[in-house]
Amino acid sequence: MEAVANPRITCAYLNQYVGKNVIIVGKVMQLRGEEAIIDADGNVTAHLNREAHLSAGNGVQLIGKVNPDLSIKVLSSMDLGTGVDYDLANTVVEVSQQYRSLFVYD
Amino acid sequence: MVASQQGSQSQGQGGEKKWANESLRPITIKQLIDCKEAYPKAELAVDGLPTTQVTLVGQIRSINQQTVNVTYRIDDGTGIINVKKWIDADKADSAPSFALDTYVRVYGRLTTWDGRKHVGAHYIRAIEDFNEVNYHLLEATYVHLALTRVAEGGEHQQQGQMGAADGGDGMFVDDGYGGGGGGGGGADSHTIRLRLGPCSRNANAIYRYLANSAGDAQHLNQVAAGTGISVRDILAAADELVNQGLIYTTENDETWAILDL
Repeated sequence: MEAVANPRITCAYLNQYVGKNVIIVGKVMQLRGEEAIIDADGNVTAHLNREAHLSAGNGVQLIGKVNPDLSIKVLSSMDLGTGVDYDLANTVVEVSQQYRSLFVYD
Repeated sequence: MVASQQGSQSQGQGGEKKWANESLRPITIKQLIDCKEAYPKAELAVDGLPTTQVTLVGQIRSINQQTVNVTYRIDDGTGIINVKKWIDADKADSAPSFALDTYVRVYGRLTTWDGRKHVGAHYIRAIEDFNEVNYHLLEATYVHLALTRVAEGGEHQQQGQMGAADGGDGMFVDDGYGGGGGGGGGADSHTIRLRLGPCSRNANAIYRYLANSAGDAQHLNQVAAGTGISVRDILAAADELVNQGLIYTTENDETWAILDL
């Protein structure tokens, strides 16, 4: 049992989480070698690790650390295929920010 | 030594077992980590309601296979908890194997052992559609709000207390009948809250309507007009309330009044 949370966030919340681990769910817009652009209610730059297998157009869940320049250093990634409801994912982020007692440790 | 005494606390003990506590509740792992016993040896309570049967989703972070059970560390982004699945030797796939980082849904029983919480899984399955993860998180929030909002409606609605951040609550539970009079009030309100907790949302709305309306008994048609709930749904919800002993039928089967405790 561990009280460690990786908050779910979107692009808009990046600057509140610099230096912290977060979960981002979004759509892969562009792949450029070790770098990817993810749309999570706004474009996010992700620096991928070696194990990452993303495909453009698919959904992805990234767990990583927010860099000072608001890019993400990816620690783990998971391909989610094409059937991802992004509006739903963004709503979950908003809800988890609104009802923080259920989701994050303050 | 203290730990070994605590060991067998979770079961047995009090003779009275309430079926209401056995209702399945969707939760986030943080809620499990935060939940506490109301007093030593009491059942663990989430939002003040005793909770045993839970369902959660999360990614498997590690798997520890032993001869009689498998322990999974499950992470849903809000915390990490151990989920234990006992292996049934008679059934071939009672403990299916999962790859690490797979999203799974767990149905199980919240238990404490040596003062540490874990979930004893009845059933674990892999999640095929990722949207189920987000759906679950919303459902857990919904249930939390439905339960805590009812609690506030029954006592006095303390809007200010929750702060400005809660402004958008209306989308989940409408406060139509919540204000004003409130339910039993005083010492009774806690009991009422506990008994209303497991009831459906319609039942809660009807109870609040009856509590706030003038006169003792209200006819089906009055309730329908006042709450905007369909007649069929009112009959079903009223059945729930009657069974919980919260209301009773008066002149005929379609007229109800609140049972004062």
